[in-house]
Amino acid sequence: MFRRLLTLVLVIGACSIAQAQKSTPTDMVPVKGGTFVPLYGSNNQTVTVQSFRMDRYPVTNAQYEDFLAKYPKWRKSEVKALFADAGYLKHWASPLGVGPAADKLKDSPVINVSWFAAKAYCECQGKRLPTVNEWEFAALASETKKDASSEPSFYQRSLDWYSQPNPKYLPPVQSAFKNYYGLYGMIGLVWEWTSDFNSALIVGESRQNASLDRQLFCGAGSTGASDVKNYVAFMRYAFRSSLKANYTVANLGFRCVQDVPVQTTAKK
Amino acid sequence: MKRFTLYLFTLIALGLTACQQEVAHEDDSCCAKPVAEGLPDGTGTLAIPAAALTDMSLYNLDSDWQNQRGEELKLQNFQGKVQLVAMVYTHCSYACPRIVADLKRIEMGLEQYKQEDIGIVLVTMDPARDTPARLLQFAESNNLNPKRWTLLTSEQDNIRELAALLNMKYKMELDGEISHSNIISVLNENGEIIHQAEGLGVEPDETVNAIKSLLQKI
Repeated sequence: MFRRLLTLVLVIGACSIAQAQKSTPTDMVPVKGGTFVPLYGSNNQTVTVQSFRMDRYPVTNAQYEDFLAKYPKWRKSEVKALFADAGYLKHWASPLGVGPAADKLKDSPVINVSWFAAKAYCECQGKRLPTVNEWEFAALASETKKDASSEPSFYQRSLDWYSQPNPKYLPPVQSAFKNYYGLYGMIGLVWEWTSDFNSALIVGESRQNASLDRQLFCGAGSTGASDVKNYVAFMRYAFRSSLKANYTVANLGFRCVQDVPVQTTAKK
Repeated sequence: MKRFTLYLFTLIALGLTACQQEVAHEDDSCCAKPVAEGLPDGTGTLAIPAAALTDMSLYNLDSDWQNQRGEELKLQNFQGKVQLVAMVYTHCSYACPRIVADLKRIEMGLEQYKQEDIGIVLVTMDPARDTPARLLQFAESNNLNPKRWTLLTSEQDNIRELAALLNMKYKMELDGEISHSNIISVLNENGEIIHQAEGLGVEPDETVNAIKSLLQKI
């Protein structure tokens, strides 16, 4: 009798372990919330970011192949032009996968994906795209510090990366720079989509879109940046502002995030 | 004893099923959009099949919206008619009254057409404060003819998705204002963008002509 009870406890236990693992996946890392001053914040105002979980790596070609196997409507042959332009997955040899270069590319970040495709991918994993603020907050970390924004050497890493042409084959995600949180490739691998990319670069009450570019690229306008030496983040904001939701770009990938669930104390 | 065993096994079975159901449920619930499917409950007044949507139709977005009367609708409900679309928020003190004025100027250039031929859609960027009731109040205080003007709200995520397709950029500021671009879009009867005017106080002629040439084709 006791043994049966034990079995019952074990079964229920196994189930809840599975549940617990689902809620803290090993392929994600926690990013503890905090405050920071975004580059194009209003009047250097501090922004608060809640705690969240972020994918350890950008989404890879192999992972994206799995996604397409399950959700055919996102295949190159099926997707509507509204949701992804003609360059969608153009680095793949077939609509279903990378093809002959698979051994070189399966663990490399997937690129040439639109915002809609990235968003759908994350939603299918029970996740979402990070906001600009979440992404920038997590990207402030060096190997050893949460906030390396005061270290010139940290910017040098980005500058070195931005000044290099895209390699023919992007390296595997595991080989990329790993930061304080355990996030790989926030710098040095690919640019990444954010959920509110179309909030970038609005400064004040803009009268028309063109004025945004002027604010950014004219000498006087660029002093609007909260930290002028932060040319790096400046590049990212500028890039985001140039995107449209169905654009696909050869060095633009994504990773997903999740809210940290509110802790329930009642669970025994 | 035997009964107790049975009871135990039932419990175990239930436990396992619950576990599996959870997983299965997750598979089903994700990826709900953007899919162009028919109205789910079949109660919709529009009998337009999803297949009729063209590739670049904004009506491929399957999200749920509410108008100023609190009625639920899909973007597909706007199919079949030329629509002028702009995004606003009613607590806005500067740009939004201007964009409504711009839309009215365009409307004046279209007096020869019947009310029913052209729709004007205002989409809020501020769903937290712009409830249907607030939108109705805004429509009435601006004398917006309900036969022509529809004011829409939805969840922020759906609004951001539509904004992305309209090439709109907007950002919530900490003081409650929203910085945003000003774009008036003309959609043809299929929901494709055929013309966009950026900025405030733009001469209405180009937009009016774009609409006229569309209406001649229909």
